[in-house]
Amino acid sequence: MFFDLNIKGSSLENNIKLAIQASDYGWEHINFSYNQNEFKEALKLRDNLKDSLDDIIDFDYTLEIKSTNINEIRKHANNFRSRASCISVVGGDLKVNRAVLENIKIDVLSRPYLNRFDSGMNHVLAKEAVRNNVAIEICFKDILRTYLAPRAKVISNFRDLYLLYRKFDFPLILSSRAESVFDIKTVHDFINVFTQTGLTADEIDKSFKTSEEILKFNENRQDLILKGVRRVDDEA
Amino acid sequence: MKLKVLPPTLRKNNRYLTVDIKIASQIDKDELVSIIWDACIRFKGECETSNFNLWVMKFYEIDRCDDYYHYKAIVRCQRDFVSEVRSSIALATRHNGKSLAMSTIALSGTIKASQKYI
Repeated sequence: MFFDLNIKGSSLENNIKLAIQASDYGWEHINFSYNQNEFKEALKLRDNLKDSLDDIIDFDYTLEIKSTNINEIRKHANNFRSRASCISVVGGDLKVNRAVLENIKIDVLSRPYLNRFDSGMNHVLAKEAVRNNVAIEICFKDILRTYLAPRAKVISNFRDLYLLYRKFDFPLILSSRAESVFDIKTVHDFINVFTQTGLTADEIDKSFKTSEEILKFNENRQDLILKGVRRVDDEA
Repeated sequence: MKLKVLPPTLRKNNRYLTVDIKIASQIDKDELVSIIWDACIRFKGECETSNFNLWVMKFYEIDRCDDYYHYKAIVRCQRDFVSEVRSSIALATRHNGKSLAMSTIALSGTIKASQKYI
């Protein structure tokens, strides 16, 4: 299954266009991401989107929290936890990276390398990501929209993340963060670009599985009592 | 005098990519050739691009939408470098200041087979 947990959501028409294009190019599930200010409004579009995309592609919503205030991030995560199938926080700030990786209620730390000269991750943060099961997200758009020296630096940051990923085995997800039809690529192109940056085909497959697992885990999150303990209705 | 054609064992093995192109301005085949070469040289460098054996075999105008012109093309490349060519083509984003998106929708061993996807 090919999952993309971060396609930038906007108006209904644009979302439909993006979803149809993604479906044509082989994607099976996409998540439209909205920030904390737009998320409530976006939830109102869900029924219309469902009618339009019924047989075309599966979709859901990601809450993308963008803030440098740690308390604010925690507050938004608690507020929207039951309404979003995936909560991601845009990284880049070291304090934010650390706080997010220590918070079990957050699913994804998106782009820890953003606006930095390094990958934004070290062995300590990698261990925290494993302990709290917070995935690190790498965006295709960061390679696509840069060129020459900045692109080389982004790919170098990706390689640093791959090094930590191979040692600590934290959850890693790959997403496109497409804003228009120009940013969506076929699944094989997407895979080939990441293969060229140094990931293996198995690691890429695993990243798609991780995305699927995040969504599945969050479906049952309300029933979770402790880590590893879940309330079940099954009498047998 | 023309060169004699190489025997099959000495010829390069080719693959044919069917490329889906969306661009905000109108282009012709020559412009597509330069777009593909520039994309490959930019991403993989001059030395590695020399292995690709790139050639635009066919160029088709499909339709015109509100936002973009839609074209398809069949591009030849060497068999062992398909992944490099695909990724380089996918990473082309602008041409003459206009938005551009290219994606490989099919891979075939012959031109005839790749024409099914046009």
